[in-house]
Amino acid sequence: MDAYQRIVCKWCNGQNTNPTQCAFCGAPLDAQNVVSESGWREAPRLRDMTQIRFDNSTCQVEGEIVPVVECSLAPNEWVYFEHHCMLWKADHVPLTVMNLQGPKRSFFRMPHIVTIASGPGRIAFSRDATGEVVVLPLHPGMEMDVREHAFLLASGRVSYSYVRIKGLANILHGGSGMWLDRFVTSQAPGLLVLHGYGNVFERMLAPGESIQVEPGSMLYKDASVSLAAEAIKLSTGIFGGTSMYLARLTGPGRVGIQSMYHHHESGE
Amino acid sequence: MAGGPGAYVCPYCRSSVAGGSRSCPACGAPVDVSLKVTESGWIELPAARDMARIQCGRSSVQIEGTMVPVADFALAQGDGVYFPHHELLWKEPGVTVTQRGMKGAWKRIMAGLPVHMLDAAGPGRIAFSRDAAGETLAIPLHPGVSVDVREHIFMVATQAVTFDWFESGVWFTTREGDDTETHYPVGVFMDRFAAPAQPGLLLIHAHGNAFVRQLAPGERLLAKASAFLYKESTVSMHMHVEHPRPSSSSIWTWGERYLWLVLRGPGRVAIQSAFGHTHDPGGRITGGVTEHRW
Repeated sequence: MDAYQRIVCKWCNGQNTNPTQCAFCGAPLDAQNVVSESGWREAPRLRDMTQIRFDNSTCQVEGEIVPVVECSLAPNEWVYFEHHCMLWKADHVPLTVMNLQGPKRSFFRMPHIVTIASGPGRIAFSRDATGEVVVLPLHPGMEMDVREHAFLLASGRVSYSYVRIKGLANILHGGSGMWLDRFVTSQAPGLLVLHGYGNVFERMLAPGESIQVEPGSMLYKDASVSLAAEAIKLSTGIFGGTSMYLARLTGPGRVGIQSMYHHHESGE
Repeated sequence: MAGGPGAYVCPYCRSSVAGGSRSCPACGAPVDVSLKVTESGWIELPAARDMARIQCGRSSVQIEGTMVPVADFALAQGDGVYFPHHELLWKEPGVTVTQRGMKGAWKRIMAGLPVHMLDAAGPGRIAFSRDAAGETLAIPLHPGVSVDVREHIFMVATQAVTFDWFESGVWFTTREGDDTETHYPVGVFMDRFAAPAQPGLLLIHAHGNAFVRQLAPGERLLAKASAFLYKESTVSMHMHVEHPRPSSSSIWTWGERYLWLVLRGPGRVAIQSAFGHTHDPGGRITGGVTEHRW
């Protein structure tokens, strides 16, 4: 098919020859892009059994209320994930662990082990909560920050680190700070799959444009989007009042939120 | 409005609206689906269609998402909404949020009720969601009508809607030894909303699916207390205990009992399909209920 005949996916900008479904993120191409009047775009509702290709491997999204992501890994290809998201795997698929700063993460009650599963073989993942699977194909040279515990899996070509946003959660819950997983691609593209509680919405912030969100609803953002805590003073007339804290996200870049906001015990 | 081409009365919110839209502009319910009424008379409230738009004066609200819906308000200059602070999802920085004075705040704290009721003033956008799967119910309130809502399910209301709270009066006491305990299956307090001067909009969250029905004067209905959502103020409530006829072959069936919430018309009542267990605390029930032994 010629370039002018290809269909560009509005979610991931992938170019497709299949007119019904994006091969890179699974978004239906024959369904309307759903955007609210305020500019939030709904994450594409993946059809049951949608198949997505990454490198020589594939993954299939199964179910709709608590979706399962089932990977068929090609030889010499691998994915990594937090071990509690693993649902089942083929007996012969080997598991190893990624080298992280375990004690430091444990101290802050973050999972200190990120597990790697290598092909060939099948392995499946799910988060035990109602929500949506968000498939984010990462083009070369992208940096994406994701709220802690929200990622289901990433392909081997995506490098992984984490950053701590000081201030926000310290104030909110007396915790150790809000942790964000950072996923970076350099020369090659990769695949990142997240789980959002409830419904997931995304919007693009222009340079300098900002929005205030409930901190528990922040799901992901481009690394170019800054995140800061802001207090709103509330006077109750009892004990002198209190404050409500919101997270201010400032562009440029895209941000994703979940409608069922979630506070983990990991010190956010 | 009503009487024009395509005009109709919405079967869900009973507002008279002009035709032409796929959703009721007063409550967001889809109008091009057939009315689902159970044989027993419950009307199943259809979930608002994704991106359904509800007009409330010069402002509007859009219902976004289906599993855990978001209510996204576009507030006009001079318009406002109020809400418990934990319902806020996001807002534009230009939308100001202030604390609303609450009468009896100390009582509310002691009852475990939200004490931080906030006002948001337009112009600008602000959005709300409850962190649970279910439906967002939009209840247009007309002058002369007030509804009593179970505590903790109120999401947001427009400024034309007045807010008050009162003791639910639904309770029973149990006695074990020398200890007497009072129980409140629908909460110690309930929220009351009305729009005395001009129409307003009230949004609440239902866990699972929501159903409504109209009770005739004197008509009684027994429901699980934890499934109760809201009622018109003309509907009265109290607790009722049923004792099933015990089996003569098993002593384990002796003393079995079921706790019910009695709803007595006239007026509209609503229930939710996902409800927690109504806890029977055990012990001898000593007051606050009617009883029936089969």
